[in-house]
Amino acid sequence: MNSITVTDLTKRFGDFLAVDALTFSVREGEIFGFLGSNGAGKSTTIRMLCGLLKPTSGSATVGGIDVGRDPEGVKRRIGYMSQRFSLYEGLTVNQNITFFGGLYGLDRARLDARRHFVLEMAGLHGREKMLAADLAGGWRQRLALGCAILHEPSIVFLDEPTGGVDPLSRREFWRLIDELSASGTTVLVTTHYLDEAEHCHRLAIIHAGQLAALGTTDELKQVFAGRAIIEVQAANPVEAMRLLDGMPEVEKTSIFGIAVHAVLKAHQADATPTLKGRLEAAGVSVTGMAPVRPSLEDVFLDVVEQAG
Amino acid sequence: MRKMLAVARKEFRQIARDTRTLMILLFVPAFFLLLFGYALSFDIRNVHLAVEDRDHSAESRSLVSAFVNSGYFDLVATVDAGGAAPGQRTLISRLRAGAQTAVGLMDRNDVRAILVIPPGLGRAVQTSRPTSVQVLLNGDNANTATTVMGYALTIIRSESARYQPAAAVPLLSVEPRVWYNPELRSTLFLVPGLIAYIAMITAVISTALSVVREKERGTIEQVRMAPLNAGSFIVGKTIPYFLVSLASALVIIAAAMTLFGMPMRGSWALLLVALSLFLVGALGLGLLISSVADTQQVAFQAAMLASFLPTLMLSGFIFPISSMPRFLQIVTYAVPARYFLIALRGVVLKGSGIEAFGSELVALAVFAAAVLALASARLRRQWA
Amino acid sequence: MRRVGFLIWKELLELKGDPRLFGIVVLAPIIQLFMLGYAATTDIRDVPIVVADADRSAASRELVARFAASSNFTIAGVVTSSDEIDPYLGGGRAWMALTIPAGYGETLGRGEPQTLQVVADGSDANSTNVALGYATSLIAGYAQDLVAQRSPQGAALPGGIEPRVRIWFNPRLESRDFMLPGVLALLLLVITTNLSSMGIVREKERGTLEQLNVTPLGRWELVVGKLLPYALIGMIDVCLVVAVAVFWFDVPMRGSVALLFALCAVYLMSTLGLGLFVSTISSTQQQAMMTTTFFFLTPMIYLSGFIFPIENMPAVIQWFTYLIPLRYFLVILRSIFLKGVGLEVLWPQALALTAWGLAVLTLAIARSRKRSG
Repeated sequence: MNSITVTDLTKRFGDFLAVDALTFSVREGEIFGFLGSNGAGKSTTIRMLCGLLKPTSGSATVGGIDVGRDPEGVKRRIGYMSQRFSLYEGLTVNQNITFFGGLYGLDRARLDARRHFVLEMAGLHGREKMLAADLAGGWRQRLALGCAILHEPSIVFLDEPTGGVDPLSRREFWRLIDELSASGTTVLVTTHYLDEAEHCHRLAIIHAGQLAALGTTDELKQVFAGRAIIEVQAANPVEAMRLLDGMPEVEKTSIFGIAVHAVLKAHQADATPTLKGRLEAAGVSVTGMAPVRPSLEDVFLDVVEQAG
Repeated sequence: MRKMLAVARKEFRQIARDTRTLMILLFVPAFFLLLFGYALSFDIRNVHLAVEDRDHSAESRSLVSAFVNSGYFDLVATVDAGGAAPGQRTLISRLRAGAQTAVGLMDRNDVRAILVIPPGLGRAVQTSRPTSVQVLLNGDNANTATTVMGYALTIIRSESARYQPAAAVPLLSVEPRVWYNPELRSTLFLVPGLIAYIAMITAVISTALSVVREKERGTIEQVRMAPLNAGSFIVGKTIPYFLVSLASALVIIAAAMTLFGMPMRGSWALLLVALSLFLVGALGLGLLISSVADTQQVAFQAAMLASFLPTLMLSGFIFPISSMPRFLQIVTYAVPARYFLIALRGVVLKGSGIEAFGSELVALAVFAAAVLALASARLRRQWA
Repeated sequence: MRRVGFLIWKELLELKGDPRLFGIVVLAPIIQLFMLGYAATTDIRDVPIVVADADRSAASRELVARFAASSNFTIAGVVTSSDEIDPYLGGGRAWMALTIPAGYGETLGRGEPQTLQVVADGSDANSTNVALGYATSLIAGYAQDLVAQRSPQGAALPGGIEPRVRIWFNPRLESRDFMLPGVLALLLLVITTNLSSMGIVREKERGTLEQLNVTPLGRWELVVGKLLPYALIGMIDVCLVVAVAVFWFDVPMRGSVALLFALCAVYLMSTLGLGLFVSTISSTQQQAMMTTTFFFLTPMIYLSGFIFPIENMPAVIQWFTYLIPLRYFLVILRSIFLKGVGLEVLWPQALALTAWGLAVLTLAIARSRKRSG
């Protein structure tokens, strides 16, 4: 059962094509990730799906409602959390909850129950009277999420929800997202953190407004089927990379931390010892050289390069 | 010194990037000068007059003609006899009073003055018996009323003199001479005032949000971290706005001279000195507000409070300061436009030299130094 | 409808959290009212005059004493020759100069008419006229007194037309009674337009406006919820200003207070609508402020008839002023305060104000869509 269906969704700002004929669907209860660099069109897409921005062409259905024709209808069923964790700084935690709860028409009993849930979930018990402005990053983030799901929407949109938050809080946050998904809520989240992207059920890689790749993490990694990736650890990684680039068996190289990832061309998996030999002959001491499973980062770089 | 310039450069780039604001700051003030210089005047002409002539004699008609021919009055209505007097203010009487009654005409501001000529005027004048006419004035605008009263009295007295035997030449009479503005053109009076007003508003508004905006966004924390003292920061911020305001003010003055014929009888150097001191003071005031306020909204309301109406009312632009009560006169010492107007009028209209308004220049300098110092001190305290 | 209630509650909470803002929008009108109440005056008092007395006789000193005794004048200095008056007039230390020629006393003693020169600083054209008038009256009065002293009988002249002036609505010709109602209109404009425009843009800047747009909150609900609190502040200001004007400054209140409040509410529609409109064309608070101040407040303060009468303006400009809601509201306020008239006279202005308010609000609301693009 599809929660969200997007068909040829396009957005043009004057001459600039921000989103180019996106087509994909998201299943109920799925954690769907939107991966892309800044300016790729992720936020624009989310805004269209939330009824905040009018599409130039194409269509999208969210929760069974056509976004283009009935944006207001969509808003009743969704929760949205923006990059800026839009909370009212001058209001306390409790007041923010009361306010957003009121906007969604929650009656007293339900609001109290949900308030309890959100405070629990965000770990904010005891901090109800604190001003939102005084909360540290991680708590604000969770409060923002809480305010977005007060009305128990079936679909939640999260736009770069972990920006500027410490790693511990990030991990905590994703645990919450998992819980949401487990309870049947569909979550569409945009991110440019690759480790977070691994966490999603399915992933769409967006580049320059276009859908560059779509699938589960494993499916995406299939892009390297037939092509091996070897990780080279050397004393002089930059020199090693330069040399590898010149070798015919190597398709491309990139620096990963202090190591070098070399993508070999199709059917060149056995070339590893040969390459190592050449490097050592050139005077580069190689401390390690072994094939590795493709990471999402490799996938992302590859996809983006293919698309560009 | 270099840090100050760095602050100035950054601010300048920010200003340049907000094109809309920059264009507004440079050109809208001059546009206002044009608009207001053209539109505004204290010269009162075409005063709407109604006449109730109960005499219908040659003499009464002559009196009415005197009004019409004076060039100040336009006869727009004649009054029905039997209208209610202002004392009868009941709803019924007002409703019953027709459109053409004195009450009706005055209530609707259709006329500013009503001339009521009693029956028998002509005969009284012919037989050299004293008589009188009534002039009803619409007092809602006291300024206008005073002037209209002056016109009316002058006209009536000269008409009256025609019927009197050769009046004795008074023992003492006055020969008035008007300096600097012999034709008493109100434009020459208004334009310097407008220049001062527009320059003041532009300057205060442009800086009022500059510091507080950074406070709201949090970018001021970075500045605070840098080894820059508050004073350099403040002065650095003032520099680009000063250049923009100066450019804007010069455009206004150029417009005033070319389009309104404002003369320049004094020294340009003195004008620039006075203008610069004034602008620095105004900008400094804006910065002071900016460093004290926490939110942009408060800064803005405070800027309005400090500059919008006070500059108009307390600078001597419209109302003479010497006529104000003592305590208010003391308040005007804190209004920089007050000093600037004296200097401006002095240089432009009177061709005075520095000895005439030296003390005003000192006052402007003191004001500027004071606000800048206060702004720096305030910021320093917040950063400590 | 309940949602609007939540929105208003939130606005008031935020306002409470910024006591400085609240303080300033309540205090500012009072302070300005005091300033303007005392500044606005047509009486020219204490006109500084410098006397060039070349005669230095008892007679000339008596004349100077007359000027000194008058509340209209204050002697800025006495010099001996007319060459010395330049620095006084040039530096603004005196507005007028009286020149008493040598031999004044003798000529006066012989009963011969003579002319005294009075120089006025014309750069302040408005006051010059009035001041010259005072000087002329004072000298004429003094002359008459001298004549009466010598021949008590010969003073009155037969015949002639005597003007009798009666001033309606403002017999004391109190400028203040005219200005203060105007100040109310202006203050409402400055305060509420800026509060609403900056308040909305601030939410835009912070991103909370987007958050509101994503909720089921209706467009109308959003507008009403945002503007109503500011309307409330406006009405509080009206109460304060009217109270101070009437009870402290003795500005007469001859009309219906209920009508005043009702029309204030109508006027607030146009000021708040204007603020809302500005918020739809500004992306930062700075822009909102600049736009409001330069494009709306400044022209309105000058062209609405607040100080400079519209009837003195060129025809083209007068046509333009029909677009300024402040113009109608000024007439309404002044009429209610000073003339005590009601809707039977003011209906054209009330109608224009209502039409204006509805037009601006509608335009602004049309522009504030929840979905952009």
